[in-house]
Amino acid sequence: MPLLELQGLTKRYGGILAVDQVTMAVEPGEVRAVIGPNGAGKTSLFHLITGVVKATEGDVLFDGQRVTAMPAFGRCQLGMSRTFQITALFPEMSARENTSLAAQARDKQRWRPLGGGSVFAEAQRRGDAALERLGLTHVAHRPAGLLSHGDQRLLEVAMALAQQPRLLLMDEPTQGLSVEETAQAVDVLAGLFAAGDLTVLLVEHDMEVVFRLAEKITVLHRGAVIADGDPETVKADATVQSAYLGGYA
Amino acid sequence: MRMTLAVAVLLALLPLGLPPYAMTLLTEALIMALFAMSLDLMVGYARLISFGHAAAYGLGAYTCGNILLHTDIPLPFAVLIAGVFSGIVAIGVAWVCTLATGVSFSMLTLAFAQLLYAVAFKWTSVTGASDGLAGIPRTKGPFGTAFFGTKMGFYYLTMACLFGSFLFARAVVRSPFGAVLRGIRENEAKTLSLGYNTRLYKIAVVAMSYMLGGLAGALYAPFAGFANTELLFWLLSGQVLIMVIVGGTGTLVGPILGAVFFLLVQQQLSTYTDSWALVFGAIFILFVLFAPEGILGLARRRRAH
Amino acid sequence: MDFLAFLVTQCLNALSQAALLFFLGCGLTLIFGIMRIVNFAHGAFFMLGAYVGWSAVYVTGSFWGALIAAPILVGGFGAAFEMGILRRLYGRDGHSFLMVTFGLTLMMGEAIRLLWGVAALQVEMPKSLSGIVFILDEPFPIYRLFLAGAGIVTALVIWQFLERTRLGLLIRATSQNAEMVHALGTDVRLVRSAVFGIGCGLAGIGGVFAAPMVTASLGMAPNAVIDTFVIVIIGGMGSFLGSMIGALLVAFVQVFGSYYFPDFALAFMYLIMLTILVVRPGGLLGKEA
Repeated sequence: MPLLELQGLTKRYGGILAVDQVTMAVEPGEVRAVIGPNGAGKTSLFHLITGVVKATEGDVLFDGQRVTAMPAFGRCQLGMSRTFQITALFPEMSARENTSLAAQARDKQRWRPLGGGSVFAEAQRRGDAALERLGLTHVAHRPAGLLSHGDQRLLEVAMALAQQPRLLLMDEPTQGLSVEETAQAVDVLAGLFAAGDLTVLLVEHDMEVVFRLAEKITVLHRGAVIADGDPETVKADATVQSAYLGGYA
Repeated sequence: MRMTLAVAVLLALLPLGLPPYAMTLLTEALIMALFAMSLDLMVGYARLISFGHAAAYGLGAYTCGNILLHTDIPLPFAVLIAGVFSGIVAIGVAWVCTLATGVSFSMLTLAFAQLLYAVAFKWTSVTGASDGLAGIPRTKGPFGTAFFGTKMGFYYLTMACLFGSFLFARAVVRSPFGAVLRGIRENEAKTLSLGYNTRLYKIAVVAMSYMLGGLAGALYAPFAGFANTELLFWLLSGQVLIMVIVGGTGTLVGPILGAVFFLLVQQQLSTYTDSWALVFGAIFILFVLFAPEGILGLARRRRAH
Repeated sequence: MDFLAFLVTQCLNALSQAALLFFLGCGLTLIFGIMRIVNFAHGAFFMLGAYVGWSAVYVTGSFWGALIAAPILVGGFGAAFEMGILRRLYGRDGHSFLMVTFGLTLMMGEAIRLLWGVAALQVEMPKSLSGIVFILDEPFPIYRLFLAGAGIVTALVIWQFLERTRLGLLIRATSQNAEMVHALGTDVRLVRSAVFGIGCGLAGIGGVFAAPMVTASLGMAPNAVIDTFVIVIIGGMGSFLGSMIGALLVAFVQVFGSYYFPDFALAFMYLIMLTILVVRPGGLLGKEA
């Protein structure tokens, strides 16, 4: 059964149709990219999936469960973790504290007002493991606000990973990175995905990144899906080419 | 921990050498210190700025006053019950106030305090209206609780409440709950997106803050022997906020110092002039402008160099 | 007295009350809408207006003179405070403004006490306005009618000022995009100081209007500031129309509430504010605070 299923998902803002009857299924273990020109509705789609924004119509099913009415933090507890287009971290906390707090969120006793040493120990263990997978152990003690932009983007991914999510949503992970930083990030991410234990939904602008990382691609245009399939098929699709790729071959 | 113990021992020994007049002043200072520290829990650790903390104080004072006047419950228990009761009422207050954020939240806390003030002004049977409650006794009970009715005993009761609350608050801010508060303080949206139901945490910290503030008010009622609507007035809310800011938010100790500083200055000033409000207003403005981390923050900066 | 007469007189009462509240609320919402500052000292400026008004009447013997002098002096003081102190806080979060203006409230309250004393001061109503008039056979003070009228006129004047004058345009533009206004060559700082001054001046003139009815006293500030916040929160921070609606709503609740539930009118008002905030956290018409 697909891990994530979208059925006729639609979002209207007054007269503007941001997301138009999107139907999609993501299988467990898949790495899927969502691409499209600016304003195609990719981030809006993410907001609908994660619950930051309420859908006008349609349904979101996570592992067979209807979560359309569930608030964002609830969906996160079910196993959805997300990174943002604009880096969101805790700037005064160290990288380690960032990932620890992220990991703590999935602990049954995350709310304990007294004691809680075991909660911290486990959260730090998971957080440190995530830092290592992302190659950030060497900056673990540095305040997050002082990291390089590239490391900050990776830290955000580490935080999401520390939550041991079933579905990882990444909104333009290479946004704002230099060419070098992008290459490094893609290397790290490719290594991460190769392990095969993650289901990933990825919004990206950079086509090289997409073709290196994604197994399947969904193309959005003006809020609606215009193509869906493996990279070769999508590259060859005429509609996609005219709408977006502009003849990229 | 050692520092805390040292201070505790010092405070415990003080009464043996002080004249009764100074004892009274010191007791009042400790009550204020508890009040200020309680506000720091929400202001300093969750960035929830309350402009209506007098509500907690007045609630605690009136509740304890009524318990002592109308029941035989001994003093220490009356005080504790009143504190807990304030915390429970605060859950409702917090539930409404946390519907808003930022400045709106602050104005809502003020509105609640004003609401309580308006109600207290009219509810003669419970609050004595504008006359207030008078003649609040320090009810004796079994197991030597009569001791707490004496000047020295009451001082130790206050000290115990302050220390107990301090240890409690410190444990809370170091717990997983406290870590979440820190996340809310630094980036609430991110904390929410990590899967924390941030509103519940905010409600909880406000309730804790009001509980300890109510404890302070509950101590004040038998201390002064009366409770009146002044204890719910917005001026008091402002004064305690000043103590927290000037002392240093997010430190627990800072506001304690701020309260002592405030009371000492008020004491000294009132011998020279009636216009302490002028001086405090100016001090407050200066601190907000140039030293927003308060006295403790300044001391830390010095030490860091 | 028959019900219709009662209704009409009470409504007129409420209108005059709303006018007073409007002077306060409109200034506060203007300041917030343009500068994102919550001016806790607004009630203190109101009080200052009343006291300055009293002095102006004392010195010149003319109420009308006070109506002109007080807002100018109070507004000027407000603008000076903004330039000297508030200006340093732009870029910090909203709470800093709240705290600094709270400190100002403390200082102003004490300064007024030092300058004018503790006793409440009676401001003479001008002879032309001090009589009563009969409405549906019920006596009604002319001054309240005057107040209601003044409120309506002021609302119209401010509306036209914002919509049709150059400064009004600058003010509206600054509230939407201060950087652009700056880029186009206007010193945004001056606009801000002007707005703060105008807002405080409005509060001040409200104080002068209120003085003959309620006397100038030290208790004015706290009551005024709470009332003002209730209005502005109900109507929505930053909405001029909202402050009018808020003023009307609060005035009607106060007037009719104190008739039917004299003991709990005050509490009732806060309950309404809380209810509105629960249903619409931004106020009825407001931009988020």
